[in-house]
Amino acid sequence: MLGVAKSDSMNSIRLNTKQIIATCPACGLLCDDIALKNINHQLKVIKPNCAKAVAFFEQGLAQNTPLIAGKPATLQAAILKAAEILRQSTKLVFTGISTDVQGFRALYSLSQRTRAKLSHMNAASMARNLKVLQSSGWQTTTLTEVKNRADVIVCFGSDLLNHNARFFERFVDVDGMFVTSKNRQVIVLSEASNQDTIKSDALQAAWVLPCSAADLPSITIALRALVAGKRLKATEIAGVKVNDLQTLADKLKAAKYAVLAWVAKDLDFNHAELTIQNITETVAILNKTTRAAGLPLGGSDGDTSANNAHTWLSGLALNDDALNDEFSEHDAMLWVNSFSPEKKPPQTDKPLIIIGNSNIKHQAEVFIPIATPGLDCSGTLFRVDSSVVLPLKKVRENNLPTLAEVLGQLEEQLK
Amino acid sequence: MITLLKNGKLYDPANSMDGVVKDIYIRDGRIIGKPSQAEKIRQTYDLTGKIVMAGAIDMHSHIGGGKVNIARMMLPEFQETKNYSEPEAHICTPNCSHNATPNTADTGFRYIEMGYTAAFEPAILPINARQAHLEMADTPMIDKGGYAMLGNDDYFLRLLSNNADQKAINDYVAWTLHATQAIGIKVVNPGGISAFKFNQRRLDLDEHNVHYQVTPRDILKSLSRAVHDLGIAKPLHVHCNNLGAAGNFQTTLDTMDASDEVPMHLTHIQFHSYGTEGDKKFSSAAAQISEALNKNKHITADVGQILFGQTVTASGDSMMQHLNAKHANPKKSVIMDIECDAGCGVVPFKYRDQNYVNALQWAIGLEIFLSVEDPWRIFLTTDHPNGAPFTSYPHLIRLLMDKSFRNEAFAKLNLDAQAMSNLTSLNREYSLYEIAIMTRAGAAKLIGLNDCGHLGVGAQADITIYTDQANREAMFAKPDYVFKEGELVVKDGKVVKVVWGKTHTAKPAFDIGVEQNLKKYFDKYHTIQLDNFKISNDEIAENGRGQIINQTKVITHQGRA
Repeated sequence: MLGVAKSDSMNSIRLNTKQIIATCPACGLLCDDIALKNINHQLKVIKPNCAKAVAFFEQGLAQNTPLIAGKPATLQAAILKAAEILRQSTKLVFTGISTDVQGFRALYSLSQRTRAKLSHMNAASMARNLKVLQSSGWQTTTLTEVKNRADVIVCFGSDLLNHNARFFERFVDVDGMFVTSKNRQVIVLSEASNQDTIKSDALQAAWVLPCSAADLPSITIALRALVAGKRLKATEIAGVKVNDLQTLADKLKAAKYAVLAWVAKDLDFNHAELTIQNITETVAILNKTTRAAGLPLGGSDGDTSANNAHTWLSGLALNDDALNDEFSEHDAMLWVNSFSPEKKPPQTDKPLIIIGNSNIKHQAEVFIPIATPGLDCSGTLFRVDSSVVLPLKKVRENNLPTLAEVLGQLEEQLK
Repeated sequence: MITLLKNGKLYDPANSMDGVVKDIYIRDGRIIGKPSQAEKIRQTYDLTGKIVMAGAIDMHSHIGGGKVNIARMMLPEFQETKNYSEPEAHICTPNCSHNATPNTADTGFRYIEMGYTAAFEPAILPINARQAHLEMADTPMIDKGGYAMLGNDDYFLRLLSNNADQKAINDYVAWTLHATQAIGIKVVNPGGISAFKFNQRRLDLDEHNVHYQVTPRDILKSLSRAVHDLGIAKPLHVHCNNLGAAGNFQTTLDTMDASDEVPMHLTHIQFHSYGTEGDKKFSSAAAQISEALNKNKHITADVGQILFGQTVTASGDSMMQHLNAKHANPKKSVIMDIECDAGCGVVPFKYRDQNYVNALQWAIGLEIFLSVEDPWRIFLTTDHPNGAPFTSYPHLIRLLMDKSFRNEAFAKLNLDAQAMSNLTSLNREYSLYEIAIMTRAGAAKLIGLNDCGHLGVGAQADITIYTDQANREAMFAKPDYVFKEGELVVKDGKVVKVVWGKTHTAKPAFDIGVEQNLKKYFDKYHTIQLDNFKISNDEIAENGRGQIINQTKVITHQGRA
């Protein structure tokens, strides 16, 4: 299996003429209705008009040969060099961890052998949700329930589109089994709405209560109090009228199925977990008398998959033991990044191995380009709601090795 | 290449062997008849005086899938860090433990160390089946399989409320078995998980789901009929309405009647055997439940025994778990509505022997074990991890086999609970043969594992060998040898070789035309493609692990017992 990837077979697209329906790993929604076509040997997204999907499926194939100190090398030489670095390290850290379930299994196995610490590129935002889960738990729902039941949808901290561009198109601007699109109401608590290519009727009709993310701690605690039936002396909280919050509380209580959504990444301030907990505890209060559910959104780079797989393999959530780790102690770093070539590894002055997407341009001792799941190889990913797990398809033909293949060979060298 | 197990004392109820001394020959992972002189015996184990049983089968244990993983995620305080030696260290991590939420490697190792060679995940949400199989694929040593949950999914409830004919239901049920790679069908709080989404808080057997206007009884009739008509072995696996509620024994009795003589399995029946007598309005109805089980020969049940200590309850029953969340210890819980498919509730629990209700729950489970006469129709479970972790099975076996041990434990319970139980008047002690029925032959027959749970010629050579000890807990905790498909994998209670087991499924014939309506439903209401809902054999059997076995035989209804 070792050898240089053959460049002449690169970039040939698997589907010859017909359209193919693929699953997109570019965000946590994992849309599996992406229509792709081979147009002049280029993979094209026919629909939908989602910038993230287009960027993912239409990406080129850049560096298909491994590099050692920037110079082309065979896969075998690159693996031997990487093994040498790992063998000499006593405080190893694996960062990035942007991969699917199969890739994560291999990475986990290698981390056990090398006693490496694991830190996902989304660790900070994942930790915000995890702290709530481990402190009080929560009452949540999933995307098909939202589509079919949600009559009131509150978005805390953003209108979600930056992260999950098709959220409204797919789940809100459509009729569900128990609610029509006309009978849904969207409420947004955030700064000015983001622009995006996908229009949403529900979002355009949304009631927007402008506020900054930094004001959410006080606004969410006020909302929680109002939903609990408490009276507030203040008339305004961080620029939002208490009367408006009372109206929002009344709408939540009157809803048949209210959904309170947030993207942990947008809640980027100290102790954001307490704000998330205000949201989830508001849900818990509502559920004493009516029905409501929380909905953590965002998610990408395989974060939900890595977290789930790490949890069943080790018994503990990912990052549970390495929170706030600044990597100051490490003596070598492995950066794994299958999905997002534009994202950079953490700063390090120690030996760096990069295993990832062929479009990565970053100096490293060793760079091994690998197949991207959902594009160059099949795979499996968890959707952001954690309940749905979908297969990814191989949609273009090349002989880039998978992460599991590379790590398997690497681990062999360490035995 | 033949292995000979010589002179062992066989407890093999499927072949009516009750302590018969007999040799066993193994070739290519199977038990064979006595070979000819010409064939070479590669290895002989002298088992003189040892007890030989088939590998045990846990027919109901939450070992994989969303809610178990949520429990792990939510409860880091229950994990402990240890270091293991080879070969266990090969895949067991420093976090492997004997706790309520073991990781996958830990799960496999702890099972095989006790002589269990198969376990079945009883609550696979169809939409979450891929996760369950991913986790089971990472669970070494044992065979796996699962039951797919139906009866609260909107597709089924729409069929039922539109008076779809039984054939349409049957095809959908069969399609679900194929799509989810399951071996049985389960219903959890029939209609109740759906009703909770419409803000109903309890659902009795004859109460209507407010939206669909169907009752749990309608759902049970329809699903049990479908499972029976399809000819799969495993009867409908029923988690009754009103789990954990005082007075729920009446619902349980009525549920037995709802089956119309069609086979039905009532799971973790201990949690459904509560009366309302006494000062505390909570009492044992084990006598009524056991009497009904003894009378209704078409009903089987597993107990779901509770044992004292810290655990976590993980259930598809979001309605009742939401109600129970106030008892969470530590004080946190997860309740989810999931994909118009089902739901889940994860609530940590600490059962205490000085708590009246907990003490009585303990006694109720044992009363049922000791009062149900036919060991072929009652199964040994703790509903892992809901009543207790599966690692407590050896302790539970001793409670069943050793009356004085049981009565000593009873004497330490909350005094009010003691006053409300007749446990000490039950003199029964289970025999080794009866234990072998409950944990081997009966379980294999119930699930339809044709080659497991027995020691006859042709059986898969999953074999456990114990030293006969008066202390049954010590005996069942640490077998001398365990063979998995003919290979020695455990010696003196320690794993000596890592293997990965198979995936058991049932795939009855059905009309693929059912996909036309399903496709329309998926396109309109679901959020994934129909094709992605279905799990292929290749997905499960990747890496050479978890080979798919289809246990469905063509059976005529006349041929069914």
